[in-house]
Amino acid sequence: MNLLVSYDWLKEYAGLKQTPEEFGARISLSGPSVEKILPMHSELDGIYVGKIAKISNHPKADKLKLVDVNLGTVKPPLVKGDNHAKRDLGDLRIVCGGSNLYEGQIVAVAVPGAKVRWHGEGDLIELELTEIRGEKSEGMICAASEIGLGETFPVKDDHEILDLSKAIPEMNVKPGTTLAKALGLDSDVVMDIEVTANRPDCMGMVGIAREAAAILDVPLMYRQTSDVKRRTLKNDKLKIVIDAKDACSRYIGTRMEGVKVGPSPWWLKRRLMSAGIRPINNLVDITNYVMYETGQPMHVFDADKLQGDEIHVRYAKKGEKILALDGKEYELPDSVLVIADADKPVAVAGVMGGEETGSTDETVNIVLEAAVFDPVVVRKGSRKLLLQSDSQLRFEKGLSQVGPESAMARAIELVKELAGGEVVGAPVDVQTKKYKPEVFSITTDEVNALIGVEISKKEMVDVLKRLGFKVKDSGKKLTAEVPWWRDHDIESGRDLVEEIARIYGYGRIPAIVPMDIAPRKSDAIIVWEDKIKDVLSGAGYTELYGYSFVSKDLLAKSGFDSKDLLHVQNPLTVELEVMRPSLVPQLLDAAANNQERADTLRLFECSNVYLRKTGKKGSWTDLPEESPQCVIGYIEHKNDSPWREVKGVVEYIFDTLDIKDVKWKRESKDDIWHPGRGVQAYKDDLLLATVGEISPKYTEAFKIESRVGAAQLELRNIIKFAKTHKSYSPPLPYPESKRDLAIVVPQDVEYRDIELEILRADEKIRLVEWFDTYQGKGVAEGKKSVAMHLTIGSNEKTLTSQEIDGVVNNAILACKEKFGAELR
Amino acid sequence: MKDQLEALRLQIVKEIGGAETLEILDELEIKYLGRKGELTSMLKGLANVSAEERPVLGALANDVKQAGLDLLEKRRKELADSRFAKLAETERADMTEPGNRPPEGHLHLVTQAIREITMIFERIGFYRTRYPEVDWDWYAFESLNMPPDHPARDDWETFFMDAVQSDDGKKGKMVLTPHTSNAQGHELERGEFPVRMLNIAKCYRRQSDATHAPMFHQFEGLYVDKGVNLTHLRGILDYFAEQFFGPGRVSRIRPHHFRFTEPSFEVDISCGVCGATGKVDGKKCKVCKQGWLEIGGAGMVHPNVLKASGVDPKKYSGLAFGWGIERVAMMKEGTQLDDIRILYQNDVRFLKQF
Repeated sequence: MNLLVSYDWLKEYAGLKQTPEEFGARISLSGPSVEKILPMHSELDGIYVGKIAKISNHPKADKLKLVDVNLGTVKPPLVKGDNHAKRDLGDLRIVCGGSNLYEGQIVAVAVPGAKVRWHGEGDLIELELTEIRGEKSEGMICAASEIGLGETFPVKDDHEILDLSKAIPEMNVKPGTTLAKALGLDSDVVMDIEVTANRPDCMGMVGIAREAAAILDVPLMYRQTSDVKRRTLKNDKLKIVIDAKDACSRYIGTRMEGVKVGPSPWWLKRRLMSAGIRPINNLVDITNYVMYETGQPMHVFDADKLQGDEIHVRYAKKGEKILALDGKEYELPDSVLVIADADKPVAVAGVMGGEETGSTDETVNIVLEAAVFDPVVVRKGSRKLLLQSDSQLRFEKGLSQVGPESAMARAIELVKELAGGEVVGAPVDVQTKKYKPEVFSITTDEVNALIGVEISKKEMVDVLKRLGFKVKDSGKKLTAEVPWWRDHDIESGRDLVEEIARIYGYGRIPAIVPMDIAPRKSDAIIVWEDKIKDVLSGAGYTELYGYSFVSKDLLAKSGFDSKDLLHVQNPLTVELEVMRPSLVPQLLDAAANNQERADTLRLFECSNVYLRKTGKKGSWTDLPEESPQCVIGYIEHKNDSPWREVKGVVEYIFDTLDIKDVKWKRESKDDIWHPGRGVQAYKDDLLLATVGEISPKYTEAFKIESRVGAAQLELRNIIKFAKTHKSYSPPLPYPESKRDLAIVVPQDVEYRDIELEILRADEKIRLVEWFDTYQGKGVAEGKKSVAMHLTIGSNEKTLTSQEIDGVVNNAILACKEKFGAELR
Repeated sequence: MKDQLEALRLQIVKEIGGAETLEILDELEIKYLGRKGELTSMLKGLANVSAEERPVLGALANDVKQAGLDLLEKRRKELADSRFAKLAETERADMTEPGNRPPEGHLHLVTQAIREITMIFERIGFYRTRYPEVDWDWYAFESLNMPPDHPARDDWETFFMDAVQSDDGKKGKMVLTPHTSNAQGHELERGEFPVRMLNIAKCYRRQSDATHAPMFHQFEGLYVDKGVNLTHLRGILDYFAEQFFGPGRVSRIRPHHFRFTEPSFEVDISCGVCGATGKVDGKKCKVCKQGWLEIGGAGMVHPNVLKASGVDPKKYSGLAFGWGIERVAMMKEGTQLDDIRILYQNDVRFLKQF
């Protein structure tokens, strides 16, 4: 969560001498991170405070006036197109259509070269000397929205210019002063500070100041407003009842009467503006200001709109609704915590107040609220209602029970100062549990062992004290009482190490690489998966990465019934709902989506798939089987046997991993595979791969135009046989001969059987390589011709031509006997 | 016969010397010097000459033969040289035409980044592990010191499975791992020290926009042993900065907050463009934030995490670090993908660029 921090404002609480850049760089290394530093007055360059000396009518336009504005004697900066640059500003003649002009009025004047936003809309435009309906105009009298102040100074009529006399009556500067200086913004910057979830105390200026003081070792100037009288006195006009004791540890309510609602003074508006908060009225502004200062959210009710004298903190009742301050009506589930009067909810506790009981211009009597609500209850309520606010963001991080005291005191002080009014009775303070500060210990040895450097006890104690801990030390033991604003953050002695180390400075800790020999090997599956990826990418295949969850539709299209699969209970969309049991559906999807983009697609993916496992009690109570798989796809326009490419690459993988004696069997019953073109590789009865073509039944469902050659590798089985070091047999010492052989066999005889038969027929046949299968003219119906290269050789001698013929003859005879083969 | 030989010599010299192609030379060699050539047939006549003349004529015949062979060799070389000399014209090809490329395969950007990170950490003694991506709440949250009401455990942020709780009920619900830190518990339970784990895996969070994919990859380094301290974390991070991003790049740590480490850090890498100064030619560096780039999180393992896996925090201490693979890959390449989800859309036009 981020906080916008005005550096000027921050200086009120800590003795800071650094430039904003120095401050940001140093604080970020030991505390909250300063992410950006922005000037406060970026849109105010070339804009000055002027006083209207004289107003006369424009001779040619009813709605325009000729305004003479006094700008004193200050020289403006040299800017392009500004012919006043060489002389004092003096008086400018400006043509203006403002509806609220009067003589003596203090206004904001933009001189040529300044950048303004016309009518508060669009991009910034550089002002030039100009003529309007025949009258020269040497500048512009600005509306608030034209110089980025529209939110701070709202208008009733679009033609109103910014009337500084009324908007900031307390402003007392000479004409010619830059507006930035007059507004007190010229030296200020806003820092965008990231605050981590454990530090809601830093979600306020004081928290940042505390950090800054501790890190930079400068004095903290913030003094908590002294407590007002807070007794659980009888207060006839206000009672607080906490019904939901688990969800609210403290509620302070203060009734004040006779307040006067109006705009806030400029100093307050300026603070809110720097924080990015829109000023509303003095009461709301005060609650926002106190929240921004202390980190403790506040709320203000119009007491006269509350029914009865009791304020309840309770869960919503069935059917209750609230019209919130954002103008929307919310139905309240009974898990949402509310603040209620006698009748109905008047606020969603810690999130947002109700519109009907909020303060208005007519408000006279108020109830101020400072409370602490349970972080989880607030978070869940906000999520349920889809309603967020600055207040909720703070509560859901966990605030201290002590915080409301000083925040309430501060708010009362400000209401009295800015809106008048008096506290009636006394603030009513109800707590549902007793606050006791946490105390933790650690030894100096433990601190130094974890940090790895020697820090003296004195320095440790000093750091902790600077951070607000009350420290006692005896020997090597440090005992620290946690300051209330760190209640939910500091949870054990170990947390003190971080406090010491970060203030000591992480940059001062040396860097030592703990180099060693790995105590064990990486998981085999990762190593082999990588090897297979190398083989595939080397063979021209492109790696896919798909989401682990897919849609039911995609699975159905690929023949999977998602009923038996693992589902995401809270999917983002129906596209990402079922844990994938196979990589094939996304492969087909990729083939379909990419088929127009390339003539040949070579694709693969290696990933886990997820299969439900039945637990002991027969239900799905065990983690799913995460099975590592690899799918390969080959799609080439007009290729009528793409399975051959994929089978080749699978064989190549087996060779690379030195997996030998693989048995190819037609055993797959899986419908996704082409019934006539699928085969499975087994070794020792373990399935290594399924290879073939995807059944047209599915490729057509995916609207894939070509045949899809595909393979699915079972990586877990493959790695059981994979070897890095290959077995080897020496090349024959005598020359080998090649002979071609073509035989005609019945068409259902399979090649692999022929090959094995030939290899068995004569040990001198070293290798059989298929090169063609033919059916058609010249080959009898029901038969096919299979052509092979035979490599023949002996390790005893060079074979003669006759001996080689004899070997080939043995092969032919064997095939005749086994398959009824004839020589082609 | 002597005259005949001399005449043959003249003829050979003339014809070979004038031959314009290698084929003609081959023919001439056969015609004059071959087994059935003219010289051979002439030598058959040697049988008819006197014994005194025979050695003289024999020597002459050999001389003619040798001269013919020498000339053949010379002429062949001349022809070859002249052919080679003309190659620039005769066999000139337009070398600006594209070459025939082998089919080009592509490893996914994520695979490439994972490999690089793996190699870097293997060099200092880390090993890769693989643990479940669908895991029990115990490993994903509970054992990592995350309280039951922690926002990460809301079904708002984490994906839950439609399975009932674990058999013994102790490990809670089944979730899709929102980070790789679930590996910490699994690895520590083995009870083998030192632990020098590098766990790289898929992670899942309920967020999908241009900068977040609902599935992404993280890596998690875990080093647990006796005497592990902050200096080691600083060392590992600096080592990674230099190895992954290049010489001169360094890391720094800033305070942060994670439940499973204490202290916890945000890790920054010095900007390679401005050299950690935040300024290029006096102007604000456009690549980084004030000289540094945020990369990920790290910290010293929380004692409660060690305890949850039965490791005695008085005896052992540890450090952990990790960040998004996609993020560092892009930081290194300097490429900012318009929409990170393109990584998982399997569009070959994208994938083939890596």
